Amino acid sequence: MLEVRGVTRRFDNLVALHDASLSVGEGEFVAIVGASGCGKTTLLRLIAGLDSDYEGEIALDGQRIVGTSLERGIVFQEPRLLPWLTLWDNVAIALENAPLSAAAKKEAIAAQIALVGLSGFERAYPSALSGGMAQRAAIARALVGHPSILLLDEPLGALDAITRMRLQEELLRIWRHEGVSMILVTHDVEEAVFLSQKIVVMDTHPGHVTATVPVDLPTPRDRASPAFSALKGRVFEALHDNAAVKPPEVEYLI
Amino acid sequence: MNTLSSVLAAPPLGEAGGRPQTLPRSGQTLLRWLAGSGAFAALRRYFAQRRYIGAILPLAILGLWQASSSFGWIEPVFLPAPKKVVEAFWYMLTKQDLLKDVWASVFIIAQAFIYGTLLGVGLGFAAGLSKPVELFFSGTINTLRHIPSVAWIPLIVVWLGLGAPAKIVVLAKSIFIPMFLNTLQAIRGVDQNFIELAQALKLSRRQLIRRVVFPAIVPVVMVTLRYSVGLAWALVVIAEGISGLEGLGFLIFRAQNLLMTDQLLVCMVLIGLVGFGLDRLLFLMQRRLLRWQRSFGGGYA
Repeated sequence: MLEVRGVTRRFDNLVALHDASLSVGEGEFVAIVGASGCGKTTLLRLIAGLDSDYEGEIALDGQRIVGTSLERGIVFQEPRLLPWLTLWDNVAIALENAPLSAAAKKEAIAAQIALVGLSGFERAYPSALSGGMAQRAAIARALVGHPSILLLDEPLGALDAITRMRLQEELLRIWRHEGVSMILVTHDVEEAVFLSQKIVVMDTHPGHVTATVPVDLPTPRDRASPAFSALKGRVFEALHDNAAVKPPEVEYLI
Repeated sequence: MNTLSSVLAAPPLGEAGGRPQTLPRSGQTLLRWLAGSGAFAALRRYFAQRRYIGAILPLAILGLWQASSSFGWIEPVFLPAPKKVVEAFWYMLTKQDLLKDVWASVFIIAQAFIYGTLLGVGLGFAAGLSKPVELFFSGTINTLRHIPSVAWIPLIVVWLGLGAPAKIVVLAKSIFIPMFLNTLQAIRGVDQNFIELAQALKLSRRQLIRRVVFPAIVPVVMVTLRYSVGLAWALVVIAEGISGLEGLGFLIFRAQNLLMTDQLLVCMVLIGLVGFGLDRLLFLMQRRLLRWQRSFGGGYA
């Protein structure tokens, strides 16, 4: 449903992203991994429509992406909650322009807050929430309008290891419950292997896609299993020697 | 101060919020009654939070003042006894229509506050949202602001006379300028990430202003308000002293000319109290508007 074909993004003379291609199927969970500076966030911002100065083609359901849309929810690296709004209002603001009745909005907001496990905190201001709670609220805000695809820009990067693992499970549960496609940008290979069905590996200078690794592990995934480790190893390999080595399991796009 | 007043306002005997109506018969029941009345709790809070620390300095100054007049350290014409000042206050209140003068000054600052704030925030907002408006106004305002408000008084008085309007204009101008500049700067300083978020959430420009820009600048606007009203209050006193026939500023300069130090001190205290009251009012407004903010209380461990 989401097709990215030959996308290049230049900032003056710097090529941040060169000829990147990837596809995300209906309800698919795709992870993009790579070191900082590989253009993964640039790519996500292009898909979100926050940046539209690019060459190539990005299309959702055959429609070229122009500007932002509620069809594409986004969760940023930091929760980015408005500090003057309560949790409820922070989620509600995403429905400000939704063509729904007040009652339907209320129901959707309550359901979404319940889904991310924050019921009871509706009236709390962001300053009273922990980092993990704030990021859950940001996820609820991105999902409340029922987008067809959710874009996650290293949403768990700033959290401690325990909270991060817990939220990874949550993310998986939400993904199953909502049936929404997800693109997760991360630099944590384990996170990518744990969550996604497909991993797009990127590299720097200029930012480009080096490999796409399918993750065919059964769920729920056991982080300690040999198959899990083997897959992690394959992704690391793709990260390190990208085009130099070509293991048979890795399917190359370029 | 809150706690002290609630101590003083402890319910009188027999009315202790649903307590037995019988009068206490022994010291023990009296104690028990006092404990139940909340007076002890209030006192304990007063001391536990160390509020009394704030009362030490003023009490010491008051004591020194009383001592200096009792022992004749200072000539009464320079510093009259506290009792004399209280008497002067009572005399001014009952015989000289003191409240009318207080009201005259408060009336001026209240009006100046309304005009200066509305205009300052309004234009600052317009300039913040539109580059042409900013370019149109900011050069002029940045130049005018270097002429002190006091320097405007003679000209404005020539134009508008000795009455309230001239002072309102000068004061409104003195509130307007910081309000304008800080509102503009606050808008320029709104976190770009929030603008991007609004974009992702498909908020209209109007919604962006109402839901993001406006709340984001409230902290700065409120601080500027408190700051500029404090300055403007000082300016009222000067303006009334320079030109005018009523108001606290007029009274204080008249008292100086007549060497009526007791009346002068009454004016000083009143000016301080009204200034404190104005700031308190704005502080309460600020706290109400900014209840989402978690502030740094000074503790650090």
